[in-house]
Amino acid sequence: MSSVTLQSVRKTWGSFEALKSLDLHIPDGEFLVLLGPSGCGKSTTMRIIAGLEEVSSGTLLFDKEDVTRVHPRRRNVAMVFQNYALYPHMTVAENIGYPLKVTGVDKAKAREQVLDAARKVDLTDYLQRLPKDLSGGQRQRVALARALVRDPRVFLLDEPLSNLDAKLRVAMRAEIKHLQRSIGVTMIYVTHDQIEAMTLADRIVLMNKGQIQQVGTPDEIYDDPANLFVAGFIGSPPMNFITGEVADGVFRAPGVIVPGAPGRGPATLGFRAEDVTLSPSGAFQGTVFEVEPTGEATYLVVEVGGARAMLRTDKKHRPALGSPVAFDVPASQCLFFNPSDGLRIRRPAPHLQQVIA
Amino acid sequence: MTRPGQRWTTFAIWILLSLLTLLPIWWMFLVSVKQRADLFGKPSFLLDVSSMTWDNYASVITNPSFQKYMLNSLIVSTANAALVCALGLLAAYAMSRYRMKGKDNIFFWVLTNRMAPPAAFLLPLYLLYTGVFQAGEWSLFDTRIGLILLYCVLNLPFAFWLLQGIIDGIPAELDEAAYVDGASTWQVLRTIIIPLAGPGIAVTGILTWVFAWNEYLFASTLTSVNARTITTGLAEFVTVTGTNWGQMAAVAMLTLLPAALVLALVQKHIVAGLTFGAVKG
Repeated sequence: MSSVTLQSVRKTWGSFEALKSLDLHIPDGEFLVLLGPSGCGKSTTMRIIAGLEEVSSGTLLFDKEDVTRVHPRRRNVAMVFQNYALYPHMTVAENIGYPLKVTGVDKAKAREQVLDAARKVDLTDYLQRLPKDLSGGQRQRVALARALVRDPRVFLLDEPLSNLDAKLRVAMRAEIKHLQRSIGVTMIYVTHDQIEAMTLADRIVLMNKGQIQQVGTPDEIYDDPANLFVAGFIGSPPMNFITGEVADGVFRAPGVIVPGAPGRGPATLGFRAEDVTLSPSGAFQGTVFEVEPTGEATYLVVEVGGARAMLRTDKKHRPALGSPVAFDVPASQCLFFNPSDGLRIRRPAPHLQQVIA
Repeated sequence: MTRPGQRWTTFAIWILLSLLTLLPIWWMFLVSVKQRADLFGKPSFLLDVSSMTWDNYASVITNPSFQKYMLNSLIVSTANAALVCALGLLAAYAMSRYRMKGKDNIFFWVLTNRMAPPAAFLLPLYLLYTGVFQAGEWSLFDTRIGLILLYCVLNLPFAFWLLQGIIDGIPAELDEAAYVDGASTWQVLRTIIIPLAGPGIAVTGILTWVFAWNEYLFASTLTSVNARTITTGLAEFVTVTGTNWGQMAAVAMLTLLPAALVLALVQKHIVAGLTFGAVKG
């Protein structure tokens, strides 16, 4: 196992800049998820780590070793591709054993290792089958076993669950997480699915347009987003935004008055659906636009402050459409962003607050 | 659903087409199994299968010239097919997988080599083979290697074009997976590309083999005695004292046989190979 370090890694195709100077350190044994919308550069980052794509500039280190110009076959990474990339003319056993065969591992030893890897993913009954005779989930396991069969420095998974149906995806998610914990490998996992990212990751790297937006634990990313993009991308339903104006520490928008706001001038207020409490005297005054029961809760789509917001309420709550609704959000859960550059406007730290006071 | 009338029309068309293509072969077969006198006796001999004789075949097969020509043809066609497949595969793989400048231009340029009428090259080639490509007494003229190399030039563009389509149909992700698994480029070719492109390679091999086997123009001008192939050897049965039609037809039948056999056995695969990648990559 190795740590992975990217130093000022850039990747361009002609005039298109896929990655804009990426810096990232992934410690040994971490489960890191690269998350972002399609085209954000997360797959390119992974392919650069695998060696399938050359960097335009910058350095890539495994531990302290510079592998920037090392051929993929000499990097000793294992990769699971989005559509598995199983060799269609080889049996499951041959597929799993392929990395051992090409590196000249002794046949008897290889057979043992193949069996061992197949056992880890519960495939021992299918060793003589061809990939075309397997279900999607089984193919997925073969791809995992092929990665597991040797002792790679880094494990790369490129949207490995996106071709599976929803139920299987949840099951495989748990298996992958369990596998990573039990063998303690450095795992880098690419996905555009934020739920996958939240459930799997030790740390999430959220990317957009070839740049890292924020790096942090799932809780940090969720509770303490660095900018509007992160706040809007993470969470389901996404964070609610209301644009308004801050003056004398009070945020104002039509029907909204929130004290304790930092900065001054135009600002965007963000809050999450689940942090809302309905109260007739609430600081937020709006009208019910739509009611969406999901079984476990009822979501209200509310027109407030010139925008639409989602509120999570009791599952029995069924207000009439168009009726007024008032609610509160705890001050700590109100986040403010600069609408021009999208960056978070943070409240001064407590000791500074005293100085200002 | 097809109506009975429609079916009969289809049937009639197929019979007509089969007659058009197969009648000359039947005619040739009958000529090869008849005595010389029978050929010119009755006009209705096409339907007469009573007095057949295999004498023509016996004398042809034991003829040392025929044996030599057959061997030459076999060696030239097989070596040509093998060489063309090997070179075509490497070229097609590089073209399919590597980024290079002017890729489309290279591809088009290679194909244009096949577009000019081969006869246009005949005279320059003759001069090159007899006067330029030589070392002391030895020249490429009238050698098997000379023919093999020439057929390579003629067949490579075709093989290249066919194989590139086939390799393009193999997802590049498989190569990438193999590289990450620790395979070298040769190992990727040997263990991934060649097995998966197998049917396509076989089709390329067979078609180029048949092209070389059937080639007449260059074989007749660039060989004289040693490297003469069976197609050109046929002409030797036209002599000053007359034409030995029976033996000539027997040789023609024997020439036809390997190509017909090969094509009949693999025709399904040829269709599969030519449409490979068209259905699903």
